[in-house]
Amino acid sequence: MLGLLETGSGFWSAVVWVILVLVIGSLVYYIRNKGEKSYKKNTEQDKPFISGNPELSKEGSHISASHIYWGFTEALKGYYNPLVKMHTGDINDYSGWMVIITVVILIIVGVRR
Amino acid sequence: MKLNKYLERSLWVFHLNTGSCNGCDIEIVAGLTPRYDLERFGIKLVGSPKHADVLLVTGPVTHKMADRVKRVYEQTPEPKVVIVVGTCGTSGGVFYNSYNLLGPVDKIIPVDIYVPGCPARPEAIINGVLQAWIKLEKLREGMKAAPVK
Repeated sequence: MLGLLETGSGFWSAVVWVILVLVIGSLVYYIRNKGEKSYKKNTEQDKPFISGNPELSKEGSHISASHIYWGFTEALKGYYNPLVKMHTGDINDYSGWMVIITVVILIIVGVRR
Repeated sequence: MKLNKYLERSLWVFHLNTGSCNGCDIEIVAGLTPRYDLERFGIKLVGSPKHADVLLVTGPVTHKMADRVKRVYEQTPEPKVVIVVGTCGTSGGVFYNSYNLLGPVDKIIPVDIYVPGCPARPEAIINGVLQAWIKLEKLREGMKAAPVK
């Protein structure tokens, strides 16, 4: 059980793992002990420093991935706005679009024949 | 080797402008330039009150800055010392009783050292910082005797 486990691309040993946990744990405990002892919990010292401004809610301060594309979507808003409106979230609308596009494709195929 | 008992460790200062005209702020920066070179004693400005021993405040407190001053003061770890640089922060100066001011700094947070002047000379600011250092070391000694819970 405590033997060496050979995986082909390396090895794993429970004894080495326990030793590492103890060494790293002791190191973390030592560094934590060297920290500021006068620190007060549940006060402003708990909160981040934002140039003296109050901390916003997580929802209010969240930067989503789409913010990266802000310039792109702003420049192409003439194209994006109708697309966004078409995405109503209603399955009946999407089925309707599928029927309409299928009809259009069938007509095109029929006319070409 | 310690130079003296007041040079146990570096003094980190957080500078806060609560409505100053920038005159005192320029003099604070002058204290860090090669002519006075405060950094050779380990005194330096830091970017967060969480790292600071001393809060250096310039200017009278405007209404919009009042709760920010309180927040920054509360975020500064103990032991801490507050220095007010300039006549405006000390008493309101020429802006005393102005409609857009809440008042001098000591109306909002406790102040330990006052450095008057319009603007205060770098020598006066350096003297104020040294007074703060002495007070801080005494506070530290007090905290060692009775640690904060």
